[in-house]
Amino acid sequence: MYSCLDLSGHVVLFELGQLYPGITMEFGKTRGRVTPQELNPSSGPKPKRVPKMVGRRKKEKVKRKKNKANIEELKKEVVMDDHKLTLEELSRRYSVDLTKGLRPEKAQEILDRDGPNTLTPPPTTPEWVKFCKQLFGGFSILLWTGAILCFVAYGIQTYFNEEPTKDNLYLGIVLAVVVFITGCFSYYQEAKSSKIMESFKSMVPQQALVIRGGEKMQINVQNVVVGDLVEVKGGDRIPADIRLISAQGCKVDNSSLTGESEPQSRFPHFTHENLLETRNICFFSTNCVEGTARGIVIATGDSTVMGRIASLTSGLAVGQTPIATEIKHFIHIITMVAVFLGVSFFGLSLMLGYSWLKAVIFLIGIIVANVPEGLLVTVTVCLTLTAKRMAKKNCLVKNLEAVETLGSTSIICSDKTGTLTQNRMTVAHLWFDKTTYEADTSEEQTVNTFAKDSDTWFILARIAGLCNRADFKPDQETLPIAKRATTGDASESALLKFIEQSYSSVKEMREKSPKVAEIPFNSTNKYQISIHLREDSSQTHVLLMKGAPERILAFCSSYLLNGQEYSMDEEMKEAFQNAYLELGGLGERVLGFCFLNLPNTFSKGFKFNTDEVNFPMENFCFVGLISMIDPPRPAVPEAVCKCRSAGIKVIMVTGDHPITAKAIAKGVGIISEGTETAEDTTAQLKVHVRQIDSRDVKAIVVHGSDLKDMSSAQLDEILRNYTEIVFARTSPQQKLIIVEGCQRQGNVVAATGDGVNDSPALKKADIGIAMGITGSDVSKQAADMILLDDNFASIVTGVEEGRLIFDNLKKSIAYTLTSNIPEITPFLLFIILGIPLPLGTITILCIDLGTDMVPAISLAYESAESDIMKRAPRDPKNDKLVNYRLIGMAYGQIGMIQALAGFFTYFVILAENGFKPADLLGIRHDWENSYVNDLEDSYGQQWTFEQRKILEFTCQTGFFVSIVIVQWADLIICKTRRNSVFQQGMKNKILIFGILEETFLAAFLCYTPGMDMALRMYPLKIFWWLCAIPYSILIFIYDEVRKFAIRNHPGGWLERETYY
Amino acid sequence: MKCPLTPNSWLNPSRGKRGQPLSSSLILLFYLVFYGFLAALFSFTMWAMLQTLNDEVPKYRDQIPSPGLMVFPKPVTALDYSFRVSDPESYRGYVDDLTKFLKSYDLEEQKNLTACPDGALREQKGPTYTACQFPVVSLKGCSGVEDPEFGYSTGNPCILVKMNRIIGLKPQGKPRINCISKGEKTATLSTYPSNGTIDLKYFPYYGKKLHVRYLQPLVAVQVAFNTTSTGKEVTVECKIDGSPNLRNQDDRDKFLGRVVFKITMHA
Repeated sequence: MYSCLDLSGHVVLFELGQLYPGITMEFGKTRGRVTPQELNPSSGPKPKRVPKMVGRRKKEKVKRKKNKANIEELKKEVVMDDHKLTLEELSRRYSVDLTKGLRPEKAQEILDRDGPNTLTPPPTTPEWVKFCKQLFGGFSILLWTGAILCFVAYGIQTYFNEEPTKDNLYLGIVLAVVVFITGCFSYYQEAKSSKIMESFKSMVPQQALVIRGGEKMQINVQNVVVGDLVEVKGGDRIPADIRLISAQGCKVDNSSLTGESEPQSRFPHFTHENLLETRNICFFSTNCVEGTARGIVIATGDSTVMGRIASLTSGLAVGQTPIATEIKHFIHIITMVAVFLGVSFFGLSLMLGYSWLKAVIFLIGIIVANVPEGLLVTVTVCLTLTAKRMAKKNCLVKNLEAVETLGSTSIICSDKTGTLTQNRMTVAHLWFDKTTYEADTSEEQTVNTFAKDSDTWFILARIAGLCNRADFKPDQETLPIAKRATTGDASESALLKFIEQSYSSVKEMREKSPKVAEIPFNSTNKYQISIHLREDSSQTHVLLMKGAPERILAFCSSYLLNGQEYSMDEEMKEAFQNAYLELGGLGERVLGFCFLNLPNTFSKGFKFNTDEVNFPMENFCFVGLISMIDPPRPAVPEAVCKCRSAGIKVIMVTGDHPITAKAIAKGVGIISEGTETAEDTTAQLKVHVRQIDSRDVKAIVVHGSDLKDMSSAQLDEILRNYTEIVFARTSPQQKLIIVEGCQRQGNVVAATGDGVNDSPALKKADIGIAMGITGSDVSKQAADMILLDDNFASIVTGVEEGRLIFDNLKKSIAYTLTSNIPEITPFLLFIILGIPLPLGTITILCIDLGTDMVPAISLAYESAESDIMKRAPRDPKNDKLVNYRLIGMAYGQIGMIQALAGFFTYFVILAENGFKPADLLGIRHDWENSYVNDLEDSYGQQWTFEQRKILEFTCQTGFFVSIVIVQWADLIICKTRRNSVFQQGMKNKILIFGILEETFLAAFLCYTPGMDMALRMYPLKIFWWLCAIPYSILIFIYDEVRKFAIRNHPGGWLERETYY
Repeated sequence: MKCPLTPNSWLNPSRGKRGQPLSSSLILLFYLVFYGFLAALFSFTMWAMLQTLNDEVPKYRDQIPSPGLMVFPKPVTALDYSFRVSDPESYRGYVDDLTKFLKSYDLEEQKNLTACPDGALREQKGPTYTACQFPVVSLKGCSGVEDPEFGYSTGNPCILVKMNRIIGLKPQGKPRINCISKGEKTATLSTYPSNGTIDLKYFPYYGKKLHVRYLQPLVAVQVAFNTTSTGKEVTVECKIDGSPNLRNQDDRDKFLGRVVFKITMHA
C-alpha cells in the first residue's frame, strides 16, 4: 500500500542538501539565489551508518546560527538506521535496559548534555527590529528623506541667515512625526495579529510516561532524553522520535508529518528501508490514536524529523512581497519626477539670477514638495482595512503586505485533506441488491435517496451499526449527528454516523443485541467480526463481519437480494467485482458486509473464544458494500471554479493516493469534467507519462515517485504544459520543489498546508496559508496568512479582497498624487514669475494630511468595477501599481486642471483686492521685503507688509479651498478607471462622507476664529469658493469623456496611454 | 457545474502596454492640444474675471481698513539710519532719496493743482477729480528748499513720514503725526507742519486713475541731538494720533498707523 512512497526522510533531506548548494540565510536575499538542481542523485536510501550521532549532541545545544555549515550538517544528520537495528543492537547503542529504561542519573546527564526536548522556536525578530522595519521600511524611506532634506534646508537657511522662515523646520518635523505615527500604527496592527497567533499555542504542558530505573513516571515532555524508554497509549502525543520495542494495536496519526489522514498501525518490526515509512518508528508530535506501545527514544527536540523540518523552514530565504516591489517601483517614479523637477528648476532659478544658496533651497523645496505626505498613511490604512475585512471572512493576515499578495496569486498549491475536503470520512455509496445507491455527503446530510424499504438495507445497517467499535462521545444529544464527536477510527465513525442518521439509534440497537465477542480489525486479517445475541427471543447468536470486500466475499457462500438469501453464483460475483471496481475507482474506501446466523448449539451463554476460534467461520451470507470518502467541502467546487475563471491555476498537492486524489480533484473541479488525465491516456496506450504529447491532454496526476526522478526542467515542462495538475503521494519536501517550480516561471504562488512538513513550502511560497484549526504551530509561524476555518473557499474571498485592494490602492494613489501638482506649481511659479507665493507649506500639509486623507481612504471601500474574479491575475511585470500612465493622468492631466483652478482663485482674490495679474509679475522682491510698507497696488493704494501678507495668506486659503473643490471631482472620477460614474453609482457611503468631511474641514480651517493666528488661514468670501467650480466640472467631464472613449474603443490609443 | 475555464480576456489588465514610437509623438500632440485647450480656458476665465473688475476702485477694500506709515529716506534692509556728519558720502543716499521723493512736490509740479480750503474733507463727485496742493514750505527746514542736505550736514537729520494712500479713506477728528523719542532723552524732535498735523483736505483719495497727480500730505521729523548727551543715537516712534478711525496699534503689523526708526549719528 505504501510501497510507492519510497522517499525517505533522509533521502529527502539529502536532496535538499543538493538543492541548496548556495543557500544563503541572509534575510532579504532574493529567491533567485536558490536554484534547484538535478533532483536526487540516488534513488534509494543511503545505507550510511553514522556510528554515534556525533553532530547531534553538543552542537544542537548551540543556538542555531543561520549559516550554511550548520544547515548542511543538519541535513546530513538525518541519516538514521535505528529502525533497522535489532532490539539488542538498539539496547547497546543507547546503553539502555529495554525493560527498566535509563537510570535516572544517566537520564539527567543526557538531559544536561542534549538540552530539553523542545523545538527551538524559529528565530523571532526582536520587537525593536520589527518596529524599526515598520519605521524605515518601504514607503517611509521617502518621507524620511524628505524630512532630512527639510532639516538640511533649514540648517542652510539659519547658517547663512537667509530668510528667517521656519517653514522647512516645521515641514521636516511634520514629516518625521507622520512617519513615526504611521510606523507605530502598523507595528501595533501587526502586533495584534501576532497576538492572535499566540492564542493558538496550547499552554498546557505535555506529559510523557517514561520508565527509568524500572519505575514508571510521568514527566514533562521537555525532560525526555535520548535513550529513554517511553510508553504511549491512545490519545497521547508522541513525546519524541521513538523506535518501538513492543506494541499492542497501536495506531498513530501521522497527518501533521506526512499529510496522510488515515491512522497507521505501528509494531516493532522493521518493514521499510525508509525511516518515514517503516512501521516501527513513531514521530515526535504526531498522535497515538489507539493501542499502546513502548519504545526507545532515538531523537529529541530539534534533531527529530519534525524538528529538522522546522529548522529548515526558518533557514529558507524569502522574497519580497509583490506590494513591496510595487511600492519600491512607485518610489523610483516619484523620486525621478522629483529630482527631474528639482534639478531643472534649480538650473532655471540660477539662470533667473537667484543666488546659489537660494537655488539650493528651491531645489530642496521642490524635491520635498513632491513627497506625498499623506500617502503612507493612506496605503497603510487601506491595507489594514482590507486585512480586517479579510479576517472577518476567516482569512487572518499576519503581515499587512500579504493582503495584496493573495490578489496577485496566479497559482494555488492546495492541500487536499481538510482544505479541499471536510477531513471527515463520510459514507458516499452503498451497494446492495445489486444496485449502487448514493448517500448524501453534504455537510448537513439531509437528503437520503436510497431504497430504505429493502430488507437487505435493514440487515446491512444492523451489521454496520453493530460490528462497529466506534461510539459517540457523551453529552452531545443536542448537536446534529454529523457534528458529533466520536471515538474510534474514521471509517467506523463514518458508518456509525451514517446508520444513526439514516436508520435508527445505534445505541438502542446495541442494547437490544449485546455484543458477546469480537475479533478486532487487523491488517493481516483485513476483517472484523463481532458476535451478538439476536434481537428476537431465539437466544441464538449472529456473527457479523465487515472488512476488505474481496476477503469478505471469500467467506460467503450465499448473498442477500431484497431480503432473500440466494446461493452465490458467478453472476453475483461479477456484479460484485464491477461494483467494487466502480466504487474503488471513485477513490472511495470500500468495505464489505456479511453475516452468519449461528446454529442453536451456540445459544446464549456459549463461551466464544476469539483466540482459538471455536465457532464456524464459513458460509457467510453476503449483504452489500458501503464505501466512504472524505468528501469535498461543499463550497470548494464553486471556489475552484471561481479561481479558474480568475485565471488562477489550482494545483493539488497531496500525500494521498493518486486514485483518491484524482477523485477529489474531479469532485471539486481541479480536473474538470470530461478531461482525461495523462494517466488515463497512458493506461490506454501503455506508454510512459512523459511520452504523451502534452498538447493532447490537459490534466495530469503526477506521482511523488515520478516527481522524484524528474529534473527541474521536466517539472517546469509539466507545470507549463498542463492546466490541471494533481501531485499525489508527494513527500512533504516535494511540495517545496513544486512551489519553487511554479515560482521559476514567474508565478505568484500561494501554498496551503497544515502540517509541520508543509512549513518549508509555506515559507517559500509568496503567500503561505496555514490552517487555523488543524494547522500546527510551526506551519502557522511559517505562513503569511491563516485560514481560520480551514476552508479553501475562504482563500477565494481572500483573492477577491486582494485584487480589489490593488485596484483601489491604484485609485487612492491616483487621487492623492493628483493634488501634488497644484501643490508644486505655486512654488515653481513663485520662483519663475516672481509672484507672491500662492500656496504655502502649512496649507499643503492641510491638504495632504487633512482634507485628502479621508477621501483617499474611502476609495478602499469602493466596490469593484467589473467582476474582478473574471480577469486574469495581474502580470507583476507589466501591471504595476503605479505606472507612467497613472502619473501622466494624475500629474499631467487632472493635476494641471486642478492647478489652474487654484491659480484662478488666487488671481481672483488678488485682483479683487487691488493687485491685477499683470502687476504681480516680478513683484516678489518688494512683496517679500518687510521694510517696504507702502507697496502700491494697481489702484494706487499702499500696503504695509503685514497687510499684504494677510492678503497673501487669504489667497493661499483660497487656493487650498479650490484644491478641495477640485478634489471632489477628482474623487468621483477616481472611483472608476473604466466605467462611468453613472454605471458605478455613488453607493460608497464612506466616500460621500469623505467629500462632506473634506468640505467641512476646509470650512472649519477657513472660518474658525483664531485660525489666522494658528495656521495663518483667513476667512474667504463665499464667491471665492465658487471660482474652482468650473474647473471641477471640467475635470468631471474630461474624465467621463476619456472613459467613454476607453470603453468604446477597447485597446485604442487613449486606453493604451491613459488607462492606469 | 458550468465553469468558464479562462478569464475574460477583455478584462485582462495587462493589455494596456506602452506601444510603438508613433505613440510618443501622438502623446506629444495630445498634450499639446490638451494644454492648449487648458490655456485657452484659463485665459478665458481670467479675461471674464477681469471684465467684472472696476478700473477705478478695487472690488474689496476691507483688507486695508487703516493706513500704514512709511518713512523716507526709504529703508532697504532695516529702519536704521546711520551716517557721519563729516562724511557727505555716508548720507548721500538719504539725501538723494529725499530729493527724489520730493520732486513731485516741486512748486512747478504743483502749479496746476487746486489750492483747497483747510480743515475739511474734500469729497468730490466727479467726473473729473482734482488734487490739492501741498505746500512744501510747511516742512520748513526739511523741505529741501533752504537746506538741500536736509540737515544731515549739520547734524540735524530730517525724516519724512507719510501715511499710506487708501481709496475712500476719510479720517475722523484731527489727525496728526505724533513723534516721540524712546528711551533716554538724547535728542529733541521737531515736527513740521507744526504739531504734525495732517490736513483733512487731502482726503478722501479717489484712486490712481481718477485722482491723477494726487499728493499725499507729509510730515517731517527733524532730530536735534542734545549737545550734552554722550550718545548720538535716538529711536523715534511716530504714530497717527487724534483720529478715532485710524488705528495705530496692532500686535502683528508694526507699521499700521505707526513707525519706529533709529538714527545713529557719528561725529
